[in-house]
Amino acid sequence: MTDGMRIVALKFQLNGKPVEMECEAEETLAEVLRNHLNLNGTKVSCEVQVCGACTVLVDGLPVSSCTYLAYEARGKNVATIEGLEKPDGTLHPLQQAFIDDFAFQCGFCTPGMIMAAKALLDENPQPTRAEIIHHMDGNICRCTGYVPIVAAVQRAAGVMAKESKK
Amino acid sequence: MMPLRRFQMHQPKNVAEAAEMLAHYGEKGRLYAGGTELLLAMKHDLLRYEHLVDVKTVPGLDKIEAKNSSLHIGGTVTHRAIENSPLVRERLPVMAEMARQIANVRVRATGTLGGNICFAEPHSDPATLLLALGAKARVQGRNGERTLAMNEILVGAYETALAADEILTAIEIPLLAKSQRAAYLKFQVHERPTLSLALVLDVDASGNAITKARAVVGSVSLTPCRSDKADALLVGPRDKVEKQLADAAQVLAEAADPGDDLEGSAEYKRHLTGVFLRRAFAQALSGAPR
Amino acid sequence: MSAEKKTDFHVVNHSIPRRDGRVKVTGKAPYVADLKLIGMAYAKVLRSPYAHAKIVSIDTLRAASRPGVYCVITGNDLEGLNPYYGHAVKDHPLLAIGKVRYAGEPVAAVVAIDERTAFEALEFIDVKYEELKAVFTPEEALAKDAPLLHEKQFEAGALRGFEGEVTAGKGTNICQQHRIQWGDVEEAFKKAAAIVEGEYYFPMAYAYAMEPYVAIADVTDQGVTVYSSAQHPFMVRHDLKSIFNLPVSKVRLIVPFVGGGYGSKSYTKIEPLVAACSWKAKRPVKLQLTVEEAMLTTRSDDAYTWMRTAVDAKGKIIARQAKIYMNTGAYAENSPLVVEKSTNRCVGPYAIPNVLIENCSLYTNTVPASSYRGFGCAQVTLPGESQIDELAAKIGKDPYEFRLANVAKPGEEFFPKMRPFDGTLKEDLETAAKAIGWKNPLPKGHGRSIACSGSDAGAYPLTSTAVRVHADGSVTIMTGSTELGQGSHTVLPQIAAEELGVPFDNVNVVSSDTAITPYDRSTGASRTTTLMGSAVLEASREAIQQMVVMAADVLKVKVEEIQVVRGGVRCGEAQLNWSEVITKFYALPDGEVIGRSYIRKSGKFSQLPVFWEAACTGVEVSVDQETGKITMEKLVTVGDVGLAINPALAEGQDIGAATMGMGIGLFEELVYEGSQLVNGSILDYRLPRFSDLPKEVELHLVQNQDGVGPYGAKGGGEASLNSMAANIANAVDRAVGVRIRQAPLTPERVWRALKEKELQNSKVQKFKE
Ligand SMILES: Cc1cc2nc3c(=O)[nH]c(=O)nc-3n(C[C@@H](O)[C@@H](O)[C@H](O)COP(=O)(O)OP(=O)(O)OC[C@H]3O[C@@H](n4cnc5c(N)ncnc54)[C@H](O)[C@@H]3O)c2cc1C
Ligand code: FES
Ligand code: FES
Repeated sequence: MTDGMRIVALKFQLNGKPVEMECEAEETLAEVLRNHLNLNGTKVSCEVQVCGACTVLVDGLPVSSCTYLAYEARGKNVATIEGLEKPDGTLHPLQQAFIDDFAFQCGFCTPGMIMAAKALLDENPQPTRAEIIHHMDGNICRCTGYVPIVAAVQRAAGVMAKESKK
Repeated sequence: MMPLRRFQMHQPKNVAEAAEMLAHYGEKGRLYAGGTELLLAMKHDLLRYEHLVDVKTVPGLDKIEAKNSSLHIGGTVTHRAIENSPLVRERLPVMAEMARQIANVRVRATGTLGGNICFAEPHSDPATLLLALGAKARVQGRNGERTLAMNEILVGAYETALAADEILTAIEIPLLAKSQRAAYLKFQVHERPTLSLALVLDVDASGNAITKARAVVGSVSLTPCRSDKADALLVGPRDKVEKQLADAAQVLAEAADPGDDLEGSAEYKRHLTGVFLRRAFAQALSGAPR
Repeated sequence: MSAEKKTDFHVVNHSIPRRDGRVKVTGKAPYVADLKLIGMAYAKVLRSPYAHAKIVSIDTLRAASRPGVYCVITGNDLEGLNPYYGHAVKDHPLLAIGKVRYAGEPVAAVVAIDERTAFEALEFIDVKYEELKAVFTPEEALAKDAPLLHEKQFEAGALRGFEGEVTAGKGTNICQQHRIQWGDVEEAFKKAAAIVEGEYYFPMAYAYAMEPYVAIADVTDQGVTVYSSAQHPFMVRHDLKSIFNLPVSKVRLIVPFVGGGYGSKSYTKIEPLVAACSWKAKRPVKLQLTVEEAMLTTRSDDAYTWMRTAVDAKGKIIARQAKIYMNTGAYAENSPLVVEKSTNRCVGPYAIPNVLIENCSLYTNTVPASSYRGFGCAQVTLPGESQIDELAAKIGKDPYEFRLANVAKPGEEFFPKMRPFDGTLKEDLETAAKAIGWKNPLPKGHGRSIACSGSDAGAYPLTSTAVRVHADGSVTIMTGSTELGQGSHTVLPQIAAEELGVPFDNVNVVSSDTAITPYDRSTGASRTTTLMGSAVLEASREAIQQMVVMAADVLKVKVEEIQVVRGGVRCGEAQLNWSEVITKFYALPDGEVIGRSYIRKSGKFSQLPVFWEAACTGVEVSVDQETGKITMEKLVTVGDVGLAINPALAEGQDIGAATMGMGIGLFEELVYEGSQLVNGSILDYRLPRFSDLPKEVELHLVQNQDGVGPYGAKGGGEASLNSMAANIANAVDRAVGVRIRQAPLTPERVWRALKEKELQNSKVQKFKE
């Protein structure tokens, strides 16, 4: 029997840039992002796949980086909150909408919220209110009561539709 | 943070190799798919493994195909893939709709059907529906392949009939005939269903009589439960069956014999069985064939 | 009684986007969990499996000798420290000493090179326990043969925040008792035209600040430095100073952004333990709890209330009496204050001539209870506002009209010795009624309710601040108030910008570093806008006064000749902005002016409460009578905030608080089975989610500038939580005719109540036949 991997050779795309590194088999993607790559935008809260604070996108799909092994990112595209702002400082329409609609207070859920919403809008650019609620239902916010977050996602969808028409 | 204990990851190239690895590591090893159950349990120190065998490196287990008159869903197919599969949506919409209601987007994106069945968590959505649909699990170990019905594979809470070296390679679900109607409903307050109810009915050409029925109540007992006696009460002219729904529910609940827990009292779950059997019956007969 | 009424605001009363917006939406905002110090080690905690047990022995040798482990610390290693802390009562050891008092109590900590190593070492600590009899409810704690949780007498804390006596530590399990009384309750109940009476239970709740408790401590001969997600850094400083026996100047608390608090991060939590770890390990140490550990750290007090309320023939409420037993868990924390507050808040916002409220909190072998958004108000508003509806029904009145006729009026001294009522509840109720469509027809199975609450809020007034005006005219506010999400980093600069006439963008905030920012007692009790806001306003004005004197010097005129204009001064033709005043005064393009202010319990703040926090909420629910499941059709909040410095932020507080209240009304509840918390994870503890969002939501603010805060502002942020559970219970009663006196109203409880009613009805039917 061949030995298993203790150390994983990881190659993946992180926010559009290649990363090559090693991590331990049991390290989660959140641990690798936060502890090794110094990307602290991804937050960790419940650690049981319930709250979504740790949401990042892997090949466009939202995953809970708190319980998703970094090992799984081999050869994939990982997108985190740090990759949304354009180099010239322009915010992603979702980020701007979250500011405009006061869609956060403490901000701890916000990176995960925005990434979850991005996954939705990338797949379904004009979601209905019911679709937003269904998709976002696994992201918890304890501060805002969700009302402004729904508004922000709707606003961003509108802005993105206008931008894509240009 | 809640760290995971150290382990080694193994990447089998085929099912036989995975079976070898599992046999070799015994108690110290475990098959790993989406990890949505396994890693949580390991984080909480409820389970400890030094070796994880990544079933996803085995090619070919992530396919959804229609063969003969059944749907084959590979062991590593995710809930999300089922939810979005045009094939499932067209040929077995009740399955796609059930998948859409599991957990949250993130769990659906990584959690697999195989992992769901093999963890045998009592509050499983797929297990309830698959039992009603008469699905079978194909499993393969060092000694070859066998096929198990859902009630054969699920033997208790967190307990399956799989041997330590066996891998679930696919779930085969018979497609519904034109005369069949299906409904799946659940009542959920917490992260997992308090009660799940699946119903498959065969109706005669007039649509006014039920010739065969299969009702399953899940999440209220260790494994999803059905009863021949309850099913028998669901057969007959529609208006007669409607009058017997309460009795059928009582028989079904009796068979399930729910217990008290955080999801609710046994009495409440018995009551809900009646409510949801009636709702499922109405839903099954309301729409087009599913 | 209100502050000056100003209306031509430039910056204030505008919904300016949040100052912390960009850093928060880009993931750059630092929280303690994101910080690393050079040479930092990590701690993990071993917790007691027993609810009540003697610690016979602890053997740490095997754990301490594992690779990567720096040290293991237990209650036996605390020689040289004063290990008991508590701002109300010093009953809480930083690690269990000699015995454990609840399942989940920290018994030892491992400090290691990383979290995983520390965690893996925990199971090598051998602890031998001798189990003791335990108590889990107030009733058990009061029993004659009940075991004592705390055998020792202990000191009252120095900063308890109320003037009454502390009851704890007197040889019983009683933690705190409080009683208010006026009029003659017995007599009033005898004369009453109608009385309602009932027993109510409000559950233990978990605040779930999404950022779990986290702190980094660095203890050296220079003193103690702690980074913590603390709401009240100055209170924590006080506890650490006494634990380490240091002068205040050698203890430094630094609080970056905090990922939610809602009361759960007020006062001292894990800081003493982390500091002790650093002290023993001789290096900086970080301890980051998991959410499951956070659930074993603080919860809200659950409350058993017996209450009765009486009206006279004219429909005027004439008496209320209540007896409350609160379950405070293993340690007092802030519960003595919660007891005081919940006692007062039984009176609600009603003028009741005869009142007797007795409240007693008990130590039990459960997770310590402490502050929770609303400070005991929600616990007693469930009975209080339920009884208003029950009474209205009994005398055949519309509950809305009944409230209108009985709520405290503006300026009314409805609570002896307290500040006269400074809100406009009639207007609030009318606003809520209009928004919820009180008189509109309802579908079957739907019900509406409007409820209100009034809290003696604002905590103890002790606050100071410095407003620094720089040579370029920009401004830095130095504030001890913590940004928890409530928006203090936005609201405070709005006030300074308004006063100083400078652009909002040029006002910066430095907050919550006890070595740098002036003293502020706390960030809680909805007090920041009122107290810190007033301090910033006064400090800005004091800076202006200084700059007037400087301008006179520069212009070589008398001070009286200088006229203050927006953003600067004028004297005849000459006009100088602040930058010109400062640079001309110092004759260099640099330097600054520091405006200061100190707020204490005097002047307009001499009478407590600092303000009455009043609010109404309105709900419409529908009930699935087969399953008992409640659906929120509509939610209305009305915040009586005096003046909203930033209306969008004020509304955000209201909807956030109402959603938490809705959570408790519908499903949030910590459940104990025997000695163990059985839903101690958010897999099992159900929180409000997107899909629970009421189908319609309307947020309203009533702004009459009737508060003592800046421009007539009052605090907000707690009030709309308080009435939600009662509101839901009332609405369910109106929808399907069952009165439920226990929160949460889970589907099963509603179903049971309906079943019970059916049974009663059929009995009545039989009887009639
Ligand atoms: C927050 C949350 C909410 C959830 N809600 C729901 C819900 O509403 N309804 C529901 O039904 N489920 C729910 N789940 C359970 C969810 O984890 C499963 O549905 C998921 O499909 C498990 O698959 P996995 O691939 O992640 O399994 P893993 O965690 O990888 O594996 C689980 C177990 O199955 C074994 N295993 C995995 N694949 C195979 C295979 N091919 N052959 C043999 N053994 C195998 C593993 O060894 C392990 O013991 C929820 C989970 C979470 C975390
Ligand atoms: S932290 Fe990952 S889902 Fe909550
Ligand atoms: S903004 Fe605080 S949790 Fe969402």
